[in-house]
Amino acid sequence: MFRRILIANRGEIALRIIRTCREMGVEPVAVFSEVDRRSLHVRMAHSAIPLGGSTPRESYLDAQKVIDAAKASGAEAIHPGYGFLSERAHFARAVVEAGLEWIGPPAEAIDAMGDKITSRRNMTRAGVPVVPGLVDPVDDADKALVEAEAIGYPIALKAAAGGGGKGIRIVRSPAEMPGAFRTASAEAVASFGDGRMYMERYLDEPRHIEVQLLFDKHGQGVHFGERECSIQRRHQKLIEEAPSVVVDDALRARMGEIAVRAGAAVGYQNAGTVEFLYSKGEVYFLEMNTRLQVEHPVTEMVYGVDLVREQLRVASGEKLGYTQADVLARKQGWSMEVRINAEDPFNGFVPSTGVIGNLRAPGGPWVRLDAALYRGMEVSLNYDPMLAKLIVWGPDRVTAIERMKRALAELNVGGVRTSAPAALTVLEDERFVRGEFDTHFLNSVDLAAPRGGEDELVAAAAAIHRHLLARRRALSTGDSTRAAWAARSRARHSAYPPHISDPHSSATPSLGQAQKGASR
Amino acid sequence: MKYFVTVNGRAREVDLVERLGQLEVQVDGRKLELSYEEVDNLGQVAILAAGRSWGVSIEGDEHSVTCSIAGRLYAVEIEDERERAAHAAEREATKGGGVVKSIMPGVVVKLLVKEGEAVEKGQPLLVLEAMKMQNEIGAPGAGVVKALHVREGEAVSSGAKLATLVAQ
Repeated sequence: MFRRILIANRGEIALRIIRTCREMGVEPVAVFSEVDRRSLHVRMAHSAIPLGGSTPRESYLDAQKVIDAAKASGAEAIHPGYGFLSERAHFARAVVEAGLEWIGPPAEAIDAMGDKITSRRNMTRAGVPVVPGLVDPVDDADKALVEAEAIGYPIALKAAAGGGGKGIRIVRSPAEMPGAFRTASAEAVASFGDGRMYMERYLDEPRHIEVQLLFDKHGQGVHFGERECSIQRRHQKLIEEAPSVVVDDALRARMGEIAVRAGAAVGYQNAGTVEFLYSKGEVYFLEMNTRLQVEHPVTEMVYGVDLVREQLRVASGEKLGYTQADVLARKQGWSMEVRINAEDPFNGFVPSTGVIGNLRAPGGPWVRLDAALYRGMEVSLNYDPMLAKLIVWGPDRVTAIERMKRALAELNVGGVRTSAPAALTVLEDERFVRGEFDTHFLNSVDLAAPRGGEDELVAAAAAIHRHLLARRRALSTGDSTRAAWAARSRARHSAYPPHISDPHSSATPSLGQAQKGASR
Repeated sequence: MKYFVTVNGRAREVDLVERLGQLEVQVDGRKLELSYEEVDNLGQVAILAAGRSWGVSIEGDEHSVTCSIAGRLYAVEIEDERERAAHAAEREATKGGGVVKSIMPGVVVKLLVKEGEAVEKGQPLLVLEAMKMQNEIGAPGAGVVKALHVREGEAVSSGAKLATLVAQ
């Protein structure tokens, strides 16, 4: 086993990996940008190396800086987490060339799966079922219009080099194509430097179901069953669960077999996820994520496994040491995860920035909070809006849902607005409770609609809050006056996206992409 | 003191009277027995009201607060009588047109209209990128673009003026 590893990431996932390292007696080394000097992953690490710079490009995305930091720290291996450099084959290659161990799949496997078009070709060859669509990407809207006729609407436009929901648009008619292509392609250029679009048929009642894989370096691979991530908004997952209500033992065995075959076909090692679209009993290969997933904890809860520990074990050369049957025998109960994003559910889920003030973390039986939140933390536009992941386990799905509702009621993140109330709305929806949903589900739920019914209490509390604020300012002198002004200024500058304020104002801009969420 | 409080878009009237150091509270003319205890200076409040106990969080300034109770979010606007009159006058003055403001910080990626151009309700005015997501900002109503206040590539903060429309 490694004595020391470097974690090339930040936020909750860096902390997640640090925690496993601590439990294994491995020394975790953090890296950080200038703005992250005080962050929790730095404070919790064994040692921490500054990368300089404040943008991701100047810090966590700078492969050479990260490798230099690893060499300087004496780390033997690099864990990339998710995002940032985790799916860059050139980085994986550079790590190995620098004489370090890469806690992830071989660069060749990332290449084979990283590009959607390449992966599609590889999977078709390996006999894995794929969604009907184009094999080659298109680079302008006119060509897209022509190809669309052959595939049939509705069509999904996806960035050829994409991921994480960026640069994806659904086009329901030819009239929508030019606008959709323009914004999606521009987004793809901005995020990945490649504006080419991949087109495929958008399936009816699709459910997003993915299979967790783990391969050792000796050719052995197992799956850890499925996760369902159909509760998505603008292709960003909001709630994930394991197992899935539509997957029985037979389908699990079939999907697992396909996933393991897909991984084996590209010489996979370490942890990875094969994403499927499920439509009316059929499953189609979507893509493979060649890294640890954000939602990996639900699998950990159901299978009683620490996936990061397994990653470290197999990366250091250990054999899996268990069979597929051993894994499936461990499956127990139900787990759910809610992503807590810094977004304003009342304003079409636009990013919310500010300084974390109030913070009350949920606790109690079978509740897990994976976060790197702390009071005074600045939530900026520099990084991903995900603040935390709330995970629960229960012996069955209904218990898990009730537990999640309870935990969400306990959670209180102030200073920014979060998506947490929207998750509560979904958990209370009867169709969700019955398991009747697909990836379009959130389009049918008015997440912006205020729920709660404690309006009178809130009105009274808000008036008292203002009254006390005014009285404090009038009566007090010295320090407390300054404190009150500081608090006021902080509230001003923490920039809540304003203007939910005035329902009569005609000057509130509408978000083209978020009309549904923004309407009330 | 009378306050006009809008909770998630619904209007309420709150009357606060301080008597012998005690606050008497009326909401929409009904008396509310309420004990309000600040827990810290961050906005955690312990409230006892109508036989129930609540752990509430309230953050914001005199005019606009975000309140959270049991996982639910309440967006609250507070006006006193003077502010209410001023706001009503302002609304009347900008009827049908007005200034389009950014509801989030971001970067203007592309302008889709020119000054002097007539636009329909919902027509995209510009593309704003925030957190790597691109959003088309639409016209709040039909009108003519009187002024564009931003250039392509410009970073804007939340609340920044993007465009001014004149109603037709």
